[in-house]
Amino acid sequence: MNPKHLKYSENHEWVRDDGGAYVVGITEYAAEQLGDITYVELPQVGEGFAQDDEAATVESVKAASEVYSPVGGTVVAINEALDEHPELINKGPYEQGWMFKLEDVDVAEFHSLMDATAYDKFLKEL
Amino acid sequence: MRYTPLYKDHLGRGAKMMTFHGWCMPLQFSGIINEHLHTRSKVSLFDCSHMGEFLLKGAKAIRAFESMVFNDMICLKVGRCRYTSILDVCGGIIDDVITMRLSEDELFVVTNSGPCERVSRTLYRVCMAQDLSPTLSKIDVQGPLSRDLMLKVGFRDIEPLKYFTVCRTRWRDAGIVVSRGGYTGELGYEIFVPNALAVPLWKELLAREDAAPAGLGARDTLRLEMGYTLYGQDVDESHTTLEAGMGRFIDWDSDFHAKEFLLMQRQMGRYKIRTGIQTCDRRAPRTGHEVFYEGKPVGVVTSGSFGPSVGRGIGMAYVPLELSAPGTRLTVGPKDLEVETVEFPFYKNGSCRA
Repeated sequence: MNPKHLKYSENHEWVRDDGGAYVVGITEYAAEQLGDITYVELPQVGEGFAQDDEAATVESVKAASEVYSPVGGTVVAINEALDEHPELINKGPYEQGWMFKLEDVDVAEFHSLMDATAYDKFLKEL
Repeated sequence: MRYTPLYKDHLGRGAKMMTFHGWCMPLQFSGIINEHLHTRSKVSLFDCSHMGEFLLKGAKAIRAFESMVFNDMICLKVGRCRYTSILDVCGGIIDDVITMRLSEDELFVVTNSGPCERVSRTLYRVCMAQDLSPTLSKIDVQGPLSRDLMLKVGFRDIEPLKYFTVCRTRWRDAGIVVSRGGYTGELGYEIFVPNALAVPLWKELLAREDAAPAGLGARDTLRLEMGYTLYGQDVDESHTTLEAGMGRFIDWDSDFHAKEFLLMQRQMGRYKIRTGIQTCDRRAPRTGHEVFYEGKPVGVVTSGSFGPSVGRGIGMAYVPLELSAPGTRLTVGPKDLEVETVEFPFYKNGSCRA
């Protein structure tokens, strides 16, 4: 199911601790619900978010939806490959489909998120 | 919920299902963009059994039908198809339909699933039309390789069919109707087949190389790229046929019950017209988005999506006639997405007339 080393939000984002920096993307479930992704609007490097702030937009053939930052922080990198190839999110939501990287993250916020077991259970109850 | 004879076969092929006007239909099989591109390059099969089919018999019935639609039906030649709309007395669109002259005496009318019951009542009352929908399935074969596929499966009679013509033929000893046309902009055929033969025919077509099933998702992006309307979303009774941008199809020499009203509307020239809009990147206008001109609300988007074959966001919106000329700059939606008005179709390389 969902990778064990990630944390998950109820809005179907994932976060990976990359040793001080935190990488964010959307989950396989979210990508599947959206279907073929056709456009991704990413934040700017240097932009700051509080937890659950609107940070990006993902458009698919069917719909457009917001991505909320699962933890607060400052954007230090974005996945520019998504500009030309938004379908990378469908192909590998946990790898090449990552969206942005945050620093200045409150570790307590990160730990408050669901682990893979809790997220799998959360999905089953939807 | 209503199910087509192909429902179980769709499930077996892993289709994601959706509800469409009370029907359980496939939304997608392998993915919308994949199915879309496959239709533009090879050949796709669409289950359209939710649509309605009616048979009008005799000159009297055809004349009565003509009084409700905006173009000539009596002179429609045997073997030809014609696009038209059934109108209310104020020119509102009760349904947009394809009519097919099967013989001197018979007019076959293909309707949308949405308004089917109302259309059924109207056609019965006005023209004593026979509703064949419960007995017929409809399979659309669409794509540049569709003629090859039809010939491989043994439909030899279809070879001479030109764009928007129709013939009667047989498959496994059952009488069927095949027309050349469709809703994708590609070379294609619509097969009207008795329900009992729908599954064997569908399987036989899909067993061939290059053929793949496609769902309503791809059907929607394909038709949008061609600027074709979706009934119930882009056109309905609240829009006249002029507003729907069908003015060029109206036969003003024909006498139909909405003619006076439409002439008046045309003369006044103050109405909103369905207009193509496109973005300059992959962002897309969306159904329901408000349209703004110089910051003021002027209309609404009725369809919008990323167009996989045009590589940008495209849509249809109702805007005042004076803003509908190509090249007008508008914004849509809560994020002021910039769009430009353009002529239909968005996609110009379709093989439908090949």
